[in-house]
Amino acid sequence: MLKLFEREVIAVDELSLSQTGIDVRDLSVELNDKRVLNEINIRIPKHKITALIGQSGCGKTTLLSSFNRMNELNRRHKTTGEVWINERNIYNKRENLAALRSRVGMVFQRPNPFPMSIYENVCFGLKIKGETSRRVLDDAVENALEQAALWSEVRDRLFDSALTLSGGQQQRLMIARALALSPQILLLDEPTSALDPLTTLHIEELINQLKKNCTIVIVTHNMQQAARVSDYAAFLHQGELIEFADSDSLFTLPAKQQTEDYITGRYG
Amino acid sequence: MKRPFQLNTHISAKYNQELEALKHSVLTMGGLLEQQMVNTLIAIEEKIPNLAERVSLNDAKIDAMEHQVEQECMRIIATRNPAASDLRLVMTVVKVATDLERIGDEIVRINRLIQSNGMPNSEFLLAGLLDIGNRIVNLMRGTLDAFARQDEKAAVIAHKQDADIDRVYKKLLEQTAEEIKSHPEDIYMWMDVLWSVRSFERIGDRCKSICEYVFFLNSGKNRKKISTKKNLKRLLKNG
Repeated sequence: MLKLFEREVIAVDELSLSQTGIDVRDLSVELNDKRVLNEINIRIPKHKITALIGQSGCGKTTLLSSFNRMNELNRRHKTTGEVWINERNIYNKRENLAALRSRVGMVFQRPNPFPMSIYENVCFGLKIKGETSRRVLDDAVENALEQAALWSEVRDRLFDSALTLSGGQQQRLMIARALALSPQILLLDEPTSALDPLTTLHIEELINQLKKNCTIVIVTHNMQQAARVSDYAAFLHQGELIEFADSDSLFTLPAKQQTEDYITGRYG
Repeated sequence: MKRPFQLNTHISAKYNQELEALKHSVLTMGGLLEQQMVNTLIAIEEKIPNLAERVSLNDAKIDAMEHQVEQECMRIIATRNPAASDLRLVMTVVKVATDLERIGDEIVRINRLIQSNGMPNSEFLLAGLLDIGNRIVNLMRGTLDAFARQDEKAAVIAHKQDADIDRVYKKLLEQTAEEIKSHPEDIYMWMDVLWSVRSFERIGDRCKSICEYVFFLNSGKNRKKISTKKNLKRLLKNG
């Protein structure tokens, strides 16, 4: 039969291990003695964009930050279960957290540039890792800024303070900062919630370009954004994973009533 | 407000591709239908029931394509929230796909005439069917071309061709009525002829609707109520 539209979507339950970027098994997280995530099992596909959607407080950000153990910055946390990245459970006692976080980069809701130059901001991670060669740093900065679609705008003022950039530029700088370390996985926590619609589209386009090299997980409150940008989407509700499917199915024919209620604006 | 319709200018390259593919899909569907129509005419002219049967079987392909186009439109509406000209494109594509699918059904109906072996042996009928059929092929070609280029002038010209088809249709009807009067014993055979002549005429109407969508696509206005003569004059004047 003639296929008019070429689209290869692998159903989530057919994902093989080699196609999985992050394999989460029975993950439960308690913060301040409150259970925030309850036995989550999810396989995040490699080199795809996965969106986490759900109401405020449903555990999206907690799930996201458990992928690079950022939750542990909170002293009163307790995590059980496993998160496998590169055939390795990152919740083992001997995991090198700095190395993990350079492999699994994160960009937050509000741009948080260091009060340094644009150049310094981008190569900060590399310097911490011990890179001193000027040439390597220069190349890495140019590369990262180019990937983040910021190079043409800042090439003449690399040594200006990063705080002089606009909100959208700062956010792209944050993405460049994460990219400078060539992460395998990029976690985005509402990366565009403070930006105007057009800058948002630019960043979404950038995210779409980045998936060639990175597995991307994005948390967003904006359902339309999740629909536009993601290949797969997971709906969380009160710490439970309600539904995880490819975005085409989830946004046109969700399997669960709860998901349908949420995406059609009928909740509560 | 009138602006040239551009598909390739979105920030999201993927969205551009999706809309391009969507537009292209109905054109592929139209191309296949055109081929179906040409084969039908060959089957009529050379009286080949096998070819007619093959054309009828091919209709399943058209149905499947319509289903795919609908699914894709639904997906784009759900995930992309198209607005303004993009929304019009998606809505138009849904309607065009429906019309094309119906044209496919009409073609199947015409082919039944040859498959049932009941086509009367009549010179005027053969000539009439080929005449209206060739006009239909031209109309289909013109319509799809107008849609592909979003060319209002071409749409009006194609739209106008339907009047000729209606004229030929009426003439064929009158002649058929005469035949029925003179050979009332063959009435069942001639009724089949009536159905297929009617199918040709319906295909013309469907093409006319698609031409109207070209206006809707470009300007957002429904041109149904405006006379085509006026439109043609206006468009030709504007060059």
